[in-house]
Amino acid sequence: MFISGIGIVFTRGRGIDSFEKALKEGWREPSAGELVPAYRVDQETLTDASLSKKIRRADRFSKMAVLSAVDAYRDSGITVNERNKIGIILATAFGPHSTTFSFIDDILDYGDASVSPTKFSNSVHNAAASYVSSILESRGPTITLTHFKFAFQNALILADSWISEGRCDHVLCGCTEELGTVMEYACNMKLNIAKDGKINPFAFSDSPVSVPGEGSVFIMLSKEKGGNNYGKVAEVSFSQNIAGNPDLFVIDADGMNGDETGYKEIINHGAAIAGYSPLFGSIPTGSAFNFAAAALMLKNQIAYNCVFQDNPFVVKLGVLTSKKDLNEIYCIKICKPEIKTIVKLKK
Amino acid sequence: MKAVISGTGIISAAGFNLEQNLGSLKVGKRNAGPVSVFSTILPYPVFEVKSLPGISGKEEMRTRSLTFAALKEALENAGLQAPLTGFRAGVCLGTTVASQLNDISFYTEFRKSGSADLKPVDLFLKGNLAESVACSLNASGPAITVVNACSSGTDAIGMALSWLKSGLCDIAIAGGADELNRVPLCGFGSLGILSGSLCAPFDKNRAGLNLGEGAGILILEREDFYIKRGGKPSLYLSGYGSYADAYHLTAPRPDGTGLESAIRKALSDAGVLPEDVCFVNAHGTGTLDNDRVEGAVLERIFGSKIKFLSTKGYTGHTLGGAGGIEAVYTAAALKEGWIPANAGFECRDNEIPITPVTENTGIKGSFALSTSLAFGGNNSAIVIEKRR
Repeated sequence: MFISGIGIVFTRGRGIDSFEKALKEGWREPSAGELVPAYRVDQETLTDASLSKKIRRADRFSKMAVLSAVDAYRDSGITVNERNKIGIILATAFGPHSTTFSFIDDILDYGDASVSPTKFSNSVHNAAASYVSSILESRGPTITLTHFKFAFQNALILADSWISEGRCDHVLCGCTEELGTVMEYACNMKLNIAKDGKINPFAFSDSPVSVPGEGSVFIMLSKEKGGNNYGKVAEVSFSQNIAGNPDLFVIDADGMNGDETGYKEIINHGAAIAGYSPLFGSIPTGSAFNFAAAALMLKNQIAYNCVFQDNPFVVKLGVLTSKKDLNEIYCIKICKPEIKTIVKLKK
Repeated sequence: MKAVISGTGIISAAGFNLEQNLGSLKVGKRNAGPVSVFSTILPYPVFEVKSLPGISGKEEMRTRSLTFAALKEALENAGLQAPLTGFRAGVCLGTTVASQLNDISFYTEFRKSGSADLKPVDLFLKGNLAESVACSLNASGPAITVVNACSSGTDAIGMALSWLKSGLCDIAIAGGADELNRVPLCGFGSLGILSGSLCAPFDKNRAGLNLGEGAGILILEREDFYIKRGGKPSLYLSGYGSYADAYHLTAPRPDGTGLESAIRKALSDAGVLPEDVCFVNAHGTGTLDNDRVEGAVLERIFGSKIKFLSTKGYTGHTLGGAGGIEAVYTAAALKEGWIPANAGFECRDNEIPITPVTENTGIKGSFALSTSLAFGGNNSAIVIEKRR
């Protein structure tokens, strides 16, 4: 399946141009918070006059999803006439948890019988995908998935199935995560937070540091080559050995899933290694952001600088943003003990 | 490639296993009453699973316990033993409650002091339904939890069918589960769609739904794989369709075109015509909108003589579990050749052009359909086939 459009909302703005700019500019300090430094999405980024009426009741989670999905659709430049042929897949680890807690606030403050139906309906995991479907008037299959580690990879597998089976010609496939107060508390208690705000993807540590982040990425995947051509997804696999000779590995190391020593496996494969989590933060579905970076690199034939180069294992890193012949990139996520996913992208 | 249903497992307020469930349906037993698993001032009756062995307070997420109870029966029924080491097995399960960290005690403590004991968070992090089942079975294939509100279970089954067809796995554990929880009870109450009495799907005087809890699991296998391991197929999962309304967050599209597309897609996926379907296990929640739209669509596709029912009068609406539970019932009915009376139905609604079965009814035929409609405007349907 072909990558025909990308939409993104992250700490440094909205749209694939903002993401490309961040890739070129490199690291910025996260915002300070009461508990943890974090890569948060500001309110201004989530304001869109053209959509304000349609998302006036939507919560923050849904807004992030809607804006990135609509942008991916627009970025593709494809006009889909058969609305039954667009599918939507939203993958998330934690869903709209802030709205759930806000709904519980209502229960605690006003009692079981006096709570807000709007908050409740927005707290359901698939509300965001529903907003996307309504706004784009897409009538194809619309599904929301959850997994704490491999939500995005599973979403890609499903998108491929839908396209292969002829259920869809296009699938808007994305990931959304928000960082609410309770989640910040849980991150602070459970993760090894980098107090200096620096994620270190190439340390391959058994107790890696993290800086929580939030945002949303949607990818427009299409049966036929067209639109804004970012290359294609050649294969998604679980727990297979890494074979082949890609031009670049993009790794999902961000401190979110604990032990990262498994990434040492790719050191000796020969290809250069990159990872961009320091730009957007530690996010359970951060794989989608790294996927977007890889797709952008294939399209632009540019390898972007790895923003941190603390490199104790002396791995071959892309140290400068430069033109490069890129035909194949493998996006890798490894979670100890043995679970490994490989998403192969081709030009 | 055909997908065999090699095993089924179920737990609901109607019973701890398939035999007990069918027994309740046969005699019209409706085990509803006040909720006891949490405190609330809301007076709505619920369908609760009482005295489930293995559930001990907060040491285990209730949805997981329900899931494992149904899973055990399904695996035994399929002649499989955990762990599934060495098999290419995937896990695709639907839920709503188990996907949310909605522990009110935890949040109350956090709200008061800005900190709280993290045990509920740990429990939640261990409780992603598909991940935890895959881990417990040592299943090496894909694993994902579907959170598509009330169609989650049906969509999970449809997704598992895609995995089998594409060769991603040989065995797929699919279905759904959900527990009774105060948060959705308050939420559905706020929407004004809970009934103060026992639900009456498709009845003129229906006043809303009753919440329930439970789990329904199918063991699906690629036919060649199943035969190779000595199985004799008797039931198949033959088709799946899903379409969105693109209309409203909580109300179905009034013209029902999303549901109609989903049903027609499931039928074409199975290679059958509407007249081949011998009964429909409808979503039939007992709300005004759902039943009106669904009834009209069923009549439009299948005609006025179609035999159909909702089983929610026996289980309540088990949300993410409903699609799994109803798939198990549909498979069992095809196999046994009868469907139960649509519990709660007394008076025909003139706005609904068809009438559900009002007594236990014999069925003859090889294909049946099960539908799910959900918040967010999702509509899904599966076709189950009995080997001729």
